[in-house]
Amino acid sequence: MLSKAIIQDIIGTVLKHGGDFAEVFVEKKYQNRFELKDGKLEKANTGTIVGVGIRGFLGTKAIYAYTNVLERENLISVAKRVGEALGEAKLSDLVLNFDDKNLKNRHIVYFNPKDIEKDKKVDVMKRAYHSAKNFSELIKQVAVMYWDYDQEVLIANSEGTWAEDRRIRTRLMISAVAEHNGNMERGFYGPGAGMGFEFFDRINVEEAAKRAARIAVRMVDAEPAPAGKMPVIISNEFGGVIFHEAVGHALEATSVAKGASVFAGKLGQKVAAECVSAVDDATIPNAWGSANIDDEGVPTRRNLLIDKGVLVSYLIDKLGGRRMNMESTGSGRRQDYTFAPTSRMSNTFILPGNYYPEEIIAATEYGLYAKTMGGGSVIPGTGEFNFAVMEAYLIENGKITKPVKGATLIGKGYEIIQKIDMVGNDLDRGQGMCGSLSGSIPADVGQPTLRVSEITVGGRNK
Amino acid sequence: MTFNEFKEKIFSLAKKDGFEAQVEFSEESEFSIRYANDDIDQYTDASKFSVIVKVLKDGKIGNSFTETLENPEETYNEALSSWKIVDSDEENFFYDGKGKYLNMETYYGEFEKVPVKEKINFVKELYQSAKCNEKIVMVPYALFQNFAINKKLSNTLGLDLEFKSDGAYSFAMAISQDTSNHSGVWLKVGKKPKDLDPKEIGKKVCDEALSLLGAQTVNSGKYRVILRNTAFDDMLGLLRSMISAENVQKNMSPLKGKLNEKVGSDVLNILDVPYHPLSISNRPFDDEGVPTKEKSIIENGILKTYLHNLKTAKKDNVEPTGNAIRSEISPINLFVKPGELSFKELVEKLENGLIIIGVDGMHSGANPISGNFSLGARGYKVENGQIVGAVEQITISGNFLELLKNIEDVGNDLFVTFGTLTPSVLVKELDVAGK
Repeated sequence: MLSKAIIQDIIGTVLKHGGDFAEVFVEKKYQNRFELKDGKLEKANTGTIVGVGIRGFLGTKAIYAYTNVLERENLISVAKRVGEALGEAKLSDLVLNFDDKNLKNRHIVYFNPKDIEKDKKVDVMKRAYHSAKNFSELIKQVAVMYWDYDQEVLIANSEGTWAEDRRIRTRLMISAVAEHNGNMERGFYGPGAGMGFEFFDRINVEEAAKRAARIAVRMVDAEPAPAGKMPVIISNEFGGVIFHEAVGHALEATSVAKGASVFAGKLGQKVAAECVSAVDDATIPNAWGSANIDDEGVPTRRNLLIDKGVLVSYLIDKLGGRRMNMESTGSGRRQDYTFAPTSRMSNTFILPGNYYPEEIIAATEYGLYAKTMGGGSVIPGTGEFNFAVMEAYLIENGKITKPVKGATLIGKGYEIIQKIDMVGNDLDRGQGMCGSLSGSIPADVGQPTLRVSEITVGGRNK
Repeated sequence: MTFNEFKEKIFSLAKKDGFEAQVEFSEESEFSIRYANDDIDQYTDASKFSVIVKVLKDGKIGNSFTETLENPEETYNEALSSWKIVDSDEENFFYDGKGKYLNMETYYGEFEKVPVKEKINFVKELYQSAKCNEKIVMVPYALFQNFAINKKLSNTLGLDLEFKSDGAYSFAMAISQDTSNHSGVWLKVGKKPKDLDPKEIGKKVCDEALSLLGAQTVNSGKYRVILRNTAFDDMLGLLRSMISAENVQKNMSPLKGKLNEKVGSDVLNILDVPYHPLSISNRPFDDEGVPTKEKSIIENGILKTYLHNLKTAKKDNVEPTGNAIRSEISPINLFVKPGELSFKELVEKLENGLIIIGVDGMHSGANPISGNFSLGARGYKVENGQIVGAVEQITISGNFLELLKNIEDVGNDLFVTFGTLTPSVLVKELDVAGK
C-alpha cells in the first residue's frame, strides 16, 4: 500500500520533531453492505476506504493524526505535525531495521467476498427472509442485512515492527417483527465469522432466520416481566454480553490505567465467585473477533483474565502498557484508520463448569430465565450496567412457565460476578459489534448457561 | 484527478449507459484533545475526504463509495453492480435543485484559528474544574473537539450545491465516591469559542457527580417523574425513529395511521427546525439536496407530519420535507418547544416523585417499533417540592407514546446536544423498578 521507504520517512519525520515512539497504520478496506426488506433487496452499497494513521508517544503522552491524502508531501507534513505536538525529540538519529514478523495465517479463508458475485449474496439473504417469514403468520416484517469486508492492514513502528494482516469477515443479520393484538415485538439473530463466503456452508441459514422469528413470536403475546430483585439464569452464547459489558470493559487498560476501573490494583485478588474463569482469545481460528496481530502489530494470544475467581490479567495495548508499566497483551484494536487504537476485547467468554442447563433451571425456585440477551452498556467508573433481555421466561418451582417481555437487568459488574453460583457446561459464543473509544469493532461474547443468585430486574409493575 | 474531473467522468460514464448519476464529496476535519490523569490522554488532528456515487435508472439506485479520486471507472462499476441486484419495487429519485434554499450562516471558521496551546489550556481548565471537590476521586475524561465539514453535491439533473459548516463541543465525566462510585457528566456545544466556557462546564460535571452522593434505590412502583432535559434528550431517540416516514410505511412505527390524531398531551409541541441559533447541526439542504424547512411534528399534542425523503414523500403523495440524512430519515434539529416554568418551578409542581437526570441503555432497552422502554436511570427524590436525596440503581419503564400523553408540563430550560434541543418535562406517572 505504501512503500517501505516512505513509511521509514514518516517514522523518521515524527521522531526528528519529537517523541520517543512513532507508528504508522495503513489500511485498505473493501466492504459490501446489503439490506433486504419485505423480500426485496432495497439497498446495496459497496466501496473501499484507504487511509493512514500516524501516532507518536512521548512517555505516556500520545498524539494521533490520520489522513487519506496519500501523497508523500502530505504524509510527511502530517508526520511533522505529530512530532511537533509531542515535542522533545529523543531519537532523532534512529536507524530503522524492520523486522518482518511474517506470521503464519491462522484464519484461512476459502472464498474472498471480493470474488463472489453480488447476486449469490442476495440469494443467501432471500433464503433467510423466506425462512423467517414462513415461520409464523404473526411475522409481519423481516429485514435481512448482509455485511462482508476484506481489510488489509500494515503496521510499522520505530521499534522495528513491520506486520501485515488481512481480516476477512462475513455476517448475516436477521430482524423479524411479530404483530398480534396490537402488540409488536422484534427478534434478532446475527451470526458472523472471520470467514469468506464459505461461512454459509458452515451455518444453517434457514435455522438462523427461524431463531430471530421465534424470539419475536414468543415475545409478542408475553406478559410484562416482573420487577425487583431475583435470581436470573442467563443462557449460553450471546448471554456472555453481560460479562463483556460489565466486567470485560473494566479490565481494559483504558479504564484500569486511569484507576477508573473497579478492578484497578486487584491483580492476584479474588474478584469473582470461584466457579468463574474467563478468557479473551483472539487466536481462535476464523472467529468473528480474531486476528493474527492486533492493530498495533503485536501477535494476538489467548489471555486468561479470571482464573477460578482470581483476577490474573488485564487487556493491555501499547499506550496502556506504558501507563501501567506492563507489556501489551496484543489487545490494541481500532475500527479503522480514523481511530487511534486502544485496549479492546476480541473473543471474550466465561469457561464452562459442570452443570447441565436443565439442572440449573430445576434448582431455581423462582426467577427469570434470560434466554436471549439484547444489547447493553456500562459506565466503567462505577461498574453500573444495564441490559435488555430480548427473550425471557419466568421460572416457577424449577420450571420454565411463561414468556415475559420488557425485562432489563441492571447492577454493578463486580457484584454480579461474585453472585454467580452455578455455571453450566454448554459454552458457546455469539457475535456482536463492540463500541468504545476506538470505534466499533467485531467481538465475540460467550459463556455457558449460568445463574446469578440476585439481579435487579426492571420490568413493569402491575 | 480533481473532484470536478472525477465527477465529470462519472457523469459521462452514466450518460453512455443511460443512467442518471449523483456524486457527493465530503471533506471533514477534526481536532480533539482528551485529558485524564493530569495529562493529555488523547490528541487527534485529522482530516479525510470521501466520495459517494449513486446511479439511477428505472427508479432503482445503486451505491458505491471511495476514498480515492484515481479510479472513477471502478467506483462507477461498483455502483452499477449494486444497482443490478436491487429488486425493490420502490421508486427512487434524484432532486433537480429547483427548490428555494434558506440562507443561513453555518460556517464561522473561528475554532480552527484558536492556537493549539489555548485548546490544551481549555481542556486543562475543564479537567481542573471538574475536580472541584475532594469527594471527586477521578475525572476519567475531559474533552474538547472542533470539526469542520465541506460538502459538495451534484447530479445529472442539474443539482449543484455546496455547504460548509463548523462547530465544537466539550464534555467531561467526574466520579464521586462514598460507599460506591457515582458518575456525573455534562456536555455543551458551541459555534464560536465564546460559547464554550471550560469552568462552567467543569463545574456542572462536578456538581452532577456530587449530587449523587448517598444515592439509594427506591421501592418499585408508580411515580410522578420529571425527565430532566438531559434524560429526555436521550429518550427522544425513540421519537426520531417513530416519525421517519420510512419506518411508518414499513409498519415499523407505532405512529402509523395516527396523522392528525392526538399522540401527546396538549402542552407538547415538537418541531423540526433547519436552523436554531444554539445548534451546531443546522443545514440548508439534506443529503438528497432537498431544501430543509421548519415544520411542526407534534402541535398541541397532535401529530402533524412524518419526516420524508424523496422516496417516502412520493409514496405518500406529499412534498419531501428535506430530512434525508445519510441513508436514513432524520430531523435536522428536533426541537421541543419550551414552556413557562423554570426547572425549580417544575420541581415544585412535581411535589412528590422522582427527577430522572440520566438514562442508560437507549440502544438496547428501548424498542422504537413498539415504543416500549425499560432503562437504567439515576436522579433525585423529591418530597414537598424539594429535592431530598439521590437515587440510583433503578429502571424506568413504559411506552413512549403513553409517556407523551402523560406529560403534564414542559419546562423552559432548553438543553442542546447534536441536533436535539429540549427542556425538561413533567410526567404524571411512570413505572419505576428498584427494590
